[in-house]
Amino acid sequence: MDTQTAHPKTNPKLIPLFIFSASTVALLSILFFMIMDSFNLAIVYFMIGLIVTIVLNTAVAILILSSNTPKQVIDPSQENKNIPEGNNQELNTALALKEKELEAIRKMGDEIERKAFIDRTEAAATLASIGEGVVVTDPDGKIMVFNQAAEQMTHWQSSEAIGKFWFETVPAIDENGKLIPRKDRDMYKALITGKKVFAHSIYLQRGATKVFVAVTATPIIFGNKIIGSVEVFRNIGREIEVDRMKSEFISLASHQLRTPLSASKWFSEMLINGDAGELNAEQKEYAENIFDSNERMIGLVNSLLNISRIESGRIIINPRPTDMHELVSQVINEIKIKSDIKKQHIIFSIHSSLPLISIDPILIREVFVNLLTNASKYTPNEGEISVFVSKKDNDLICQVSDSGYGILQKDYTKVFRKFYRGENIIKIETDGNGLGLYLTKAIIESSGGKIWFKSEVSKGTSFYFTIPLSGMQARIGEVTLGS
Amino acid sequence: MSKQNPTVMVVEDEWLLLEAISKKLKLEGINAIPYDNGTEALKYLHDSADLPDIIWLDYQLKDMDGLEFINKLKQIEKCAQMPVIVVSNSASEEKVHNMLALGITQYILKAKYRLDEIIQMVRKITDDNKNVK
Repeated sequence: MDTQTAHPKTNPKLIPLFIFSASTVALLSILFFMIMDSFNLAIVYFMIGLIVTIVLNTAVAILILSSNTPKQVIDPSQENKNIPEGNNQELNTALALKEKELEAIRKMGDEIERKAFIDRTEAAATLASIGEGVVVTDPDGKIMVFNQAAEQMTHWQSSEAIGKFWFETVPAIDENGKLIPRKDRDMYKALITGKKVFAHSIYLQRGATKVFVAVTATPIIFGNKIIGSVEVFRNIGREIEVDRMKSEFISLASHQLRTPLSASKWFSEMLINGDAGELNAEQKEYAENIFDSNERMIGLVNSLLNISRIESGRIIINPRPTDMHELVSQVINEIKIKSDIKKQHIIFSIHSSLPLISIDPILIREVFVNLLTNASKYTPNEGEISVFVSKKDNDLICQVSDSGYGILQKDYTKVFRKFYRGENIIKIETDGNGLGLYLTKAIIESSGGKIWFKSEVSKGTSFYFTIPLSGMQARIGEVTLGS
Repeated sequence: MSKQNPTVMVVEDEWLLLEAISKKLKLEGINAIPYDNGTEALKYLHDSADLPDIIWLDYQLKDMDGLEFINKLKQIEKCAQMPVIVVSNSASEEKVHNMLALGITQYILKAKYRLDEIIQMVRKITDDNKNVK
């Protein structure tokens, strides 16, 4: 804002008055001097005339000034008219600028409001469109947000649920129908520990109907403070039903497929043994072919069942302190039946001070069986197979190497795929279903370990896998491998 | 029947398998009492004085499952301590656990073993049982 120093300004209408007064005094002085011929008397009359003139002029000046003094109450509409022209222009420009600014601010406000509206609408639409139930609570577990899917799954309206305690509004029960206390609820655990919680749970809808849900409860942390939680849950009733059907299928397949395979196995065995009379060499060879093919079929059924069990997550993981030396030695002894026929040499080396490791011996045994069977199968006669078991950092590390045919580089990414068999070995070795390494990888990964390999065509392959020295995590499942 | 040759009751509802087992047992010099259902097998055990040394039981029978069979068997006092080998192609871990808890001697997967091998197991159980007596 411009600042100006205020100076008193002479009213231009007073100037002629002063000129008139001064002229009158001068003329009267000359007139008195000429009439009275007395200088002293002329001075006296001059002084009287001067005083009279000053008095008269002052009166006239007061009258003139009073008529020119601006009114004290100013009409705002007339304000600009009373401002000198130069100032008016500046003010008009400033005013125009201010109006533009005001308009910009108004537009900005409109835009912010529009965006806020869009954001609100989008958030509401997103929440409403999410298929999963979403519940947001404050740090005490009081519901603040409750979306439509949550309404559908719990049969509570959001207007009723908001403000209530989540734990009380939607109770959870265990498999025996017992109410789960607040301290064991997933959201409460997330609020207390500050950590994300994943779980399966059974919620009671309004009306006490059970709904099976998969839950992710996440604490909302601002700074270092837990200011609330978000729980996302979805109905897994259908998945449980599919899982049940899958289990039924496995049971059916295991029984219905294995029963005729058992009959073929036992009758061909009896034929080979000469239980139905001695066979000639050709008949015996054919019977043996039937027996071997049947064995492959049994192996395939077993592998499919095992994969189904692993994939369904129903496999029992039952870790117990295991002597790795004993476990690997047993597998090697089994493999030797076939490797000896191929005159292969097996080397086994194990870390001298390896403690007992808490692993599920059935699962890890399956891993060694698969890797060693492959090593023998895909290594030519008189080849070498080596097994090393050691520890590195916090892991048990195992290596199964062979001097076999190797894996083609283009097959590297497919090695652990279901039903995949390397192009180079299909032609050499027909026996194999492409499920062993897939199953092996699934077992290792479900044990918290890793598996990888190095290979060179015609030189051999080394498979490596790790298991945490701390051991495998137990899992209460329903089935074991090979059952 | 001579106790030199053990007697095995075979309860198996698959006729082909029952035939194969019975024939193989006979060839091995073992007496077989074949039944294709649980009800008649239990009736025989209840009524007969000529009891087998061991029961070869399929888990999945048409009229009952292995658990029910064993529970009923335990109610026949003279058979309560009789060794049972369950040879089946389908039994969950839980069922196997329950059967072992009820006192079965062994559970084996049918498709995994040759007849020779199973008969060896049967012989071993009956021999061990004789030695205990």
